[in-house]
Amino acid sequence: MKARCLDKRGSFFKLIDTIASEIGELKQEMVQTDLTVEDESADLRSLVKDMDNVSPEKNDVKSCPRDSGYDSLSNKLSILDKLLHTHPVWLQLGLNDAEAREILQAQPPGIFLVRKSPRLQKKVISLRLPSDCGSCLKEFAVKESTYTFSLEGSGISFADLFRLIAFYCISRDVLPFTLKLPCAIAAAKTEAELEEIAQLGLNFWSSPANSNPPDPPAPRRPVPLDSACKDSRQLCLINGVHSIRTRTPSELECSQTNGALCFINPLFLKVHSQDVGGSLKRQSPRTQDVNGAARPRSPPPRPPPPSINSILTSPQLSRTIKQASMPETVNHKKERGLDLLQNKPTPIPPPRLKKQAVSSEVEGSSKNTVVIRPGCSSVHMPEAAGVPGETLPEPTPAAAKKTVASSSESHIPWNGGRQRLSDMSISTSSSDSLDFDRSMPLFGYEGDTNSSLEDFEGESDQESMAPPLKPKKKRNSSFVLPKIVKSQLRKVSGVFSSFMTPEKRMIKKIAEMSQDKRTYFGCLVQDYVSFLQENKECHVSSTDMLQTIRQFMTQVKNYLSQSSELDPPIESLIPEDQIDVVLEKAMHKCILKPLKGHIEAMLKEFHTADGSWKQLKENLQLVRQRNPQELGVFVPTPDFVDVEKIKVKFMTMQKMYSPEKKVMLLLRVCKLIYTVMENNSGRLYGADDFLPVLTYVLAQCDMLELDTEIEYMMELLDPSLLHGEGGYYLTSAYGALSLIKNFQEEQAARLLSSEARDTLRQWHKRRTTNRTIPSVDDFQNYLRVAFQEVNSGCTGKTLLVRPYITTEDVCQLCAEKFKVDNPEEYSLFLFVDDTWQQLTEDTYPQKIKAELHSRPQPQVFHFVYKRINSDPYGAVFQNNDDSAS
Amino acid sequence: FDHNISPTIGASFMTKTVPCGNELHKFLIWDTAGQERFHSLAPMYYRGSAAAVIVYDITKQDSFHTLKKWVKELKEHGPENIVMAIAGNKCDLSDIREVPMKDAKEYAESIGAIVVETSAKNAVNIEELFQGISRQIPPLDPHENSNNGAIKLGKQTSQTGRRCC
Repeated sequence: MKARCLDKRGSFFKLIDTIASEIGELKQEMVQTDLTVEDESADLRSLVKDMDNVSPEKNDVKSCPRDSGYDSLSNKLSILDKLLHTHPVWLQLGLNDAEAREILQAQPPGIFLVRKSPRLQKKVISLRLPSDCGSCLKEFAVKESTYTFSLEGSGISFADLFRLIAFYCISRDVLPFTLKLPCAIAAAKTEAELEEIAQLGLNFWSSPANSNPPDPPAPRRPVPLDSACKDSRQLCLINGVHSIRTRTPSELECSQTNGALCFINPLFLKVHSQDVGGSLKRQSPRTQDVNGAARPRSPPPRPPPPSINSILTSPQLSRTIKQASMPETVNHKKERGLDLLQNKPTPIPPPRLKKQAVSSEVEGSSKNTVVIRPGCSSVHMPEAAGVPGETLPEPTPAAAKKTVASSSESHIPWNGGRQRLSDMSISTSSSDSLDFDRSMPLFGYEGDTNSSLEDFEGESDQESMAPPLKPKKKRNSSFVLPKIVKSQLRKVSGVFSSFMTPEKRMIKKIAEMSQDKRTYFGCLVQDYVSFLQENKECHVSSTDMLQTIRQFMTQVKNYLSQSSELDPPIESLIPEDQIDVVLEKAMHKCILKPLKGHIEAMLKEFHTADGSWKQLKENLQLVRQRNPQELGVFVPTPDFVDVEKIKVKFMTMQKMYSPEKKVMLLLRVCKLIYTVMENNSGRLYGADDFLPVLTYVLAQCDMLELDTEIEYMMELLDPSLLHGEGGYYLTSAYGALSLIKNFQEEQAARLLSSEARDTLRQWHKRRTTNRTIPSVDDFQNYLRVAFQEVNSGCTGKTLLVRPYITTEDVCQLCAEKFKVDNPEEYSLFLFVDDTWQQLTEDTYPQKIKAELHSRPQPQVFHFVYKRINSDPYGAVFQNNDDSAS
Repeated sequence: FDHNISPTIGASFMTKTVPCGNELHKFLIWDTAGQERFHSLAPMYYRGSAAAVIVYDITKQDSFHTLKKWVKELKEHGPENIVMAIAGNKCDLSDIREVPMKDAKEYAESIGAIVVETSAKNAVNIEELFQGISRQIPPLDPHENSNNGAIKLGKQTSQTGRRCC
């Protein structure tokens, strides 16, 4: 709805309604109710005044949609939201240098793409430079650490890529100027519009959607400057008069000189943002200044509050910046809230949150949390509040400085009213929270932060732009939240659910997706899980089952990392070297968690069936009865109490579904064992000592389930982890258990005297030699053939002749064996009953032999290989023989 | 006992990073028990490893014999192309030496292994040992970022002789 003069009243009331309802929500989430109430009233009052003040201005601006903020209510899209929705447009990891250049060449300066540079093997922001810069685009590499994303050369890290980009849309930090969203995206007011744009994907850049920005870029530049100047002047005037007007966050800077009160209402922020988006009228320049100038450091992710921070020292603040930054305004809306909170502050976030913070969730994006603080609560507050308009500015900064840790709010006294100001701090909970959780990397920046961050101090309005102020505050401690605070924050509301680390969020998202059968991934997982549960017979062994599951997890991981089902892509949320880790955890959650019970039952079933369970049980008892020395232990062993502790750890292990977590527990057990071993001797022990102790301990624990636990871990653990420490100790535990399992056998072997062993060896030898003696069956494959003479058995040979080998073949064989030069002169004869029979080529010698054997009265017979009649030498014999026969 | 080697849980698993050329090789050192009793478990330890350090005690001829058995086992059952290194430990006690350096060198040559005499106690030659192994390990796929599994077969059960690396 537009706020026109005519509707002014109407819209005003509507606004109030909305505010009231929001406040109602806030109340519910509030930690401290009493404070809130006050605030509310204050807010309302101030709002009212604001509205009044605003109205005149509105008249001027009539045509503009910017209004009382009512619109903003419905339009809650922040920069971050826009980025999230439209990543298919700007996040183009697969784009190469040339393609990126081609796209960006046609775009106005400030437009960017994020892609993965094949050359650098890193993600980069490809930024379109103004045409007078020589080359038309420049690349800024993104550095990914284990937990964070940052731009190379910058000290500010972000939990994910979206936050990084969102920040750089507002603050240039190490960039030559801030990033700019394409007009169509910047101007979009609804998710639907963004979706539409996102649908275009890469085609967006060449589509008419991109070319028809609501606000043509060209005009923008000039406009902002002018308007900025005007605005600022106007503001000054107003401030002087003590009149209250609504200021967009960007305007705040201007008011600082006066020690203006800073009342930042989320609603207004929205409005502001809207304005920016729609008709960038006024504020844009300032915002830019601020952004450009201030680098919020400490709060890693947070963008600095646009309006508030300015750095005197930094040249950036100067107008040049303004000009360049035009595009930023758009972004503002989103960030505003976030920035304010974070930058400001606030080192002492905890207290403030605890005591006085009221958080309301911004509907549009859960990521931004708006914390409204009642003015009084904060340390600064009193000062700020106490000082009326003019004086205020200075005290505030001072206070801020003093209490470095103090909250981040900006205090600007209300000029007009003697009323108190209510400070509002807006924070993006998500980013903050992330930081807290992983605060480590952030801390490093504290030093930097100090200098760069400042509270907002009053700036002089003097120039059209807000002059940069010197950063007064240090933000060092701002991000360290005490635990208590954290937990309280968590309680506050769903808003804070965004406190989850990106990793957890990603895992949660994947887990949710795995439940959703509308996704391919969900179908895969669900079908597999139910298939396994229903088909118990599909695996032949426990190893087979576990390996299949492991394989499935690996495949699904590959699928997820390559498919587009994860939206936004995982690369934008998780640093590259962590992607696999995160996916692995997600697999555990969506596959192993539901299957854990089934797997355990099946393992038990397999082991009962194959007897290994029983074997282990029996041997375990045997081993338990041995003393440590008998097991090869010559170092101190854990006592009863330690064994109990270890048992507890193992029991905890049984409850886990994640093999990684199980391994962690195993490592703790090993650590404990080592501590016991070393505590008492002061030296380092290697495997020679550790393995026996481990065996002893596992036996003392007397837990059959360990067997399946270890199998579960060995087979299901991410194979890449098997090489590390976890893999080593897992191997050791597996080895120790298998020693236990085979204890009896081993003992048996050990007990044999060397004599017995020799006997055993001989026996074994005998057995094997026996086996080489042909059996009856084998006999059938041999044929003893004499050479030349019947009587010369010694010249005969045993040949391998299979049943279906013909006489012809046997003849060939004989020719070879007896080294006959002219085989055609020889043939195979059967001599039986004193008669010679030449066997025809197609007969089967073995059959003949079998037939002879089967005769009731065994006859003496010989197979003879000899010359056929024609042979002069053999002829004699032959003839004789023949005649004989 | 080398300071560059960091045990976290205990001394039987260690990691050591060795610069080699312009890359770093990270050794994951798996110690395995040398006693006969645990012999059957050894394959689980050397499976998949890129290098093996077999340690003997220069003051015990027996340990050198046992070493030969390990070499044989590794040749027969170990991973193909495994880099073998023979470390004669306790070189600080060379006055009671039983195994001449010459024997070890000849033997190592015959099997194509790296040989070095070390002192775990005084951290002598340990760096050299790993550097030598590093040079022989074939360059890895850059993505694997030089994760080499190396396995030490701690053969001796003698007290001071245990080298953790």
